[in-house]
Amino acid sequence: MNTTDVMRSIIAILGKDVRSELRTRYAVNALLMFVVVTLSVILFSLAGETVARSVHAGLLWVVMFFAAMSGLARSFVAEEERGTTLTLQLLATPVSVYIGKLLFNTALTLLLNSFIVLLFLLFIPDFTPAQPGLFWTVVLLGGVAVSSATTIIAAIIARANTKGTLFPVLSFPILLPLLMSGISATKIAMEEQAWTSAWADLQLLGSYIVVVVTASILLFEHVWKD
Amino acid sequence: MWWKLLLFFWIAAFSAIGILTPIAGTLGDVAMMGQMGSAKEIPVKFEIADKSTAAVGADGAAFVMRGIDAQGRSADFAFASNPSDFDAATGYIVQGRYDAAAHRVIVSKVLSTNPGMTFPFIPGLEERAKIILFHVPVSWMTVIAFLVSMWYGIRYLRKKDLEDDAKSAISAGLGLLFCILATTTGSVWAKFNWGSFWNWDPRETSIFVLLLVYGAYFALRSALDIEEKRASLSAVYGILAFVTVPFFIFIMPRILPGLHPGSADDTNSGPVVSSGGMNATMRIVLYSMLLGHIVLYAWLMRLRVSVTRLAMRKADGA
Repeated sequence: MNTTDVMRSIIAILGKDVRSELRTRYAVNALLMFVVVTLSVILFSLAGETVARSVHAGLLWVVMFFAAMSGLARSFVAEEERGTTLTLQLLATPVSVYIGKLLFNTALTLLLNSFIVLLFLLFIPDFTPAQPGLFWTVVLLGGVAVSSATTIIAAIIARANTKGTLFPVLSFPILLPLLMSGISATKIAMEEQAWTSAWADLQLLGSYIVVVVTASILLFEHVWKD
Repeated sequence: MWWKLLLFFWIAAFSAIGILTPIAGTLGDVAMMGQMGSAKEIPVKFEIADKSTAAVGADGAAFVMRGIDAQGRSADFAFASNPSDFDAATGYIVQGRYDAAAHRVIVSKVLSTNPGMTFPFIPGLEERAKIILFHVPVSWMTVIAFLVSMWYGIRYLRKKDLEDDAKSAISAGLGLLFCILATTTGSVWAKFNWGSFWNWDPRETSIFVLLLVYGAYFALRSALDIEEKRASLSAVYGILAFVTVPFFIFIMPRILPGLHPGSADDTNSGPVVSSGGMNATMRIVLYSMLLGHIVLYAWLMRLRVSVTRLAMRKADGA
């Protein structure tokens, strides 16, 4: 297979996932409702209290983390449930399956994260990032990092017996460096701090994505093929 | 057999040396404590400069002798009375505080006569500085055991030999054991030095994450029935976990402010072992302890691997 073929099958897998998602809207609907429910719990518990902006940064990441945990395992678990894993194994190379799924998960996470942030901006009055540019950079880069780490874990747990509970257990320790630097960079974006003080966090997020995606591409074959 | 006995004595001997070697400061240390306005008495080690000049002091009550410390500085040491073993003594470790006006050290107690090896006095740590001899070797062994686990994971994925998978799991188990030891020794120590068992210092966070990673690793192993599947999926997870571990172990604790030496806001020592800020005696004991722990790990590894090998052979019916 040459590069154009791989590219074509990546796009085909991405297209297949998007189409089947649009047909059922299973993941998107469930996830958007999940976000609404979680946000209302937060709004109830805040009950009009004014909270420090740094606390909001933490709350935002809690919602983003759990939304990702409830949604991102779907892509591989659905293949197992529908019994289409074998077909996919025959038709496409592991690399293109991985990258196709990664792109789909990334698109889903970015959509989800943007939706979460929009709801936060609408419903929490004092949720006003002082540096919108940096804030959106962190949220979107964080979304890419979350999906890049969880895609291979989703592939692992799709083959395990306890699919639902294991996903957050396996993901959390791997995601923690990105959560920590994501929260710290979001805090900086929420407050009137120098843009450069978030630089170390952004570098960490960037290198995290590179390391995890590289390792996943190398390892995915062993997860995917029996 | 002989090397197991040797290992036992090696670790026991260096633990004893680590625990029993007295902490002793210099005149610089005791003067600094005095300047900080602290009335606290600290251990000071000195050699008696000239025995013939030792005499009852001008104020009548004290027995004064001139002493030279390890850095070659000298001062008077005022004892409450003539120490009984004075004739045989060439030096002492005494507990005392510095009296700047009279340029003398007021001695309250003789801790040891003719002292041998000592560890340096570190303000704020004192005897507690010895944690480094136990806590650091087990922490290093945690990382080494997990590195070995990842190494056998990679080997399994290349050669598909189930024995490599068993070795990988065994090493991860030993790593978890060392990790628990590092966490508990550190946590108990933190209670006495930093005031609480857990402070979420970046290194504490990192060891907590290591516990979670390998907890998750064994949770994953128990969720998979088929041996080959369990082997390859847990190897993948082990490798994936190990590539993110450096972010915690080596990067985060150095770029974030924290309580451990080598944190971003650490101005006095920096990374203690690698920067050469450590006392030579202590360094030798630390490296000997580390060597002992490596051999201990290799022994446990060998033991568990041969047990597993026998179990596998029995299962095969051979």
